[in-house]
Amino acid sequence: MHIQDGFLNNNLAGSMFAGAVCMFGYCFGKMLKTVSVVSENLVTNHGNTPIKQNIVFLSKKSKQNFQELALIATWIFAFQMFNVPIQSATSAHIIGGVFAAILAGPFAGFIIMSSVLIVQALFFSDGGLLALGANIFNMALVGSFISYYIYKNIKKTNYVLAVFTACFFSVMGASLSCLAELAFSNTIIFSKAFKDMTTMHLIVSLLESIITLILIKLFKNLNGDINE
Amino acid sequence: MNKKIIFILPGLIIIFASFFASKQPDVLETLAINYGFADKTKENLSLFSGYSFPFIKNSFISTLLAGFTGLLIIYILFKLTKKATSYFTK
Repeated sequence: MHIQDGFLNNNLAGSMFAGAVCMFGYCFGKMLKTVSVVSENLVTNHGNTPIKQNIVFLSKKSKQNFQELALIATWIFAFQMFNVPIQSATSAHIIGGVFAAILAGPFAGFIIMSSVLIVQALFFSDGGLLALGANIFNMALVGSFISYYIYKNIKKTNYVLAVFTACFFSVMGASLSCLAELAFSNTIIFSKAFKDMTTMHLIVSLLESIITLILIKLFKNLNGDINE
Repeated sequence: MNKKIIFILPGLIIIFASFFASKQPDVLETLAINYGFADKTKENLSLFSGYSFPFIKNSFISTLLAGFTGLLIIYILFKLTKKATSYFTK
């Protein structure tokens, strides 16, 4: 699923990189809001009436929150390293975006997925540096952030169905957006590769659903007080 | 106790991955080979390219060390982010 440099048109890769940076900043700000405390202080104003000033600082729970994010990220990194053979000469790994978003929320989920992708691209050549924006779009935005809202809407009806649908959308959505980017860059013809891409990722989506269900159960059992 | 298991589990997965992970190309690489655009790949130079540790010839140990290094890098990254955030929000 990780797009390498050279597959994408430079204009597309560059603009997606810029978009990913903006989205990262937005999600990081949103995530910080959940771990920050705002206190109102009165500041002296040279003998005039004191002015109210808001001081933002991290809450006491923030240390634990960041530790949980780090743990979820390490789990995802480890699982993405594990390639399972799905066909005679093809292997695949899970994305883990739904797992991250369900446990940490959509904004923190995006940050977790992006940080894993950044480390993979910088240190392991897994995905290109210029294609990092496209990879973040596919796996962090489509595979985690948007999929979370699918899970959230169906969760009220049935939890297992919600996880399965979110995982299905996560994998299929990410693979189709990857295919669309390649087609837009004139690397591949969308209609020709559609069948191959979807059939192989159907197996991955089933694998992703089962592993996500097990992982969430395991993580919640081990770390009972985690908040969504 | 629970925290320890939570920390140990990714390590176990890395060991498992180093032992049993398939060396076959992934879906996108397979498509690249089948549709003839694999030669467009521009490999960027990285310290642990292909999840292997440089200078170690044994593939199992090499993947294992690279995996553990990855876990460590991610953990340090979040630790530093936390430190930087608390510094700037003071």
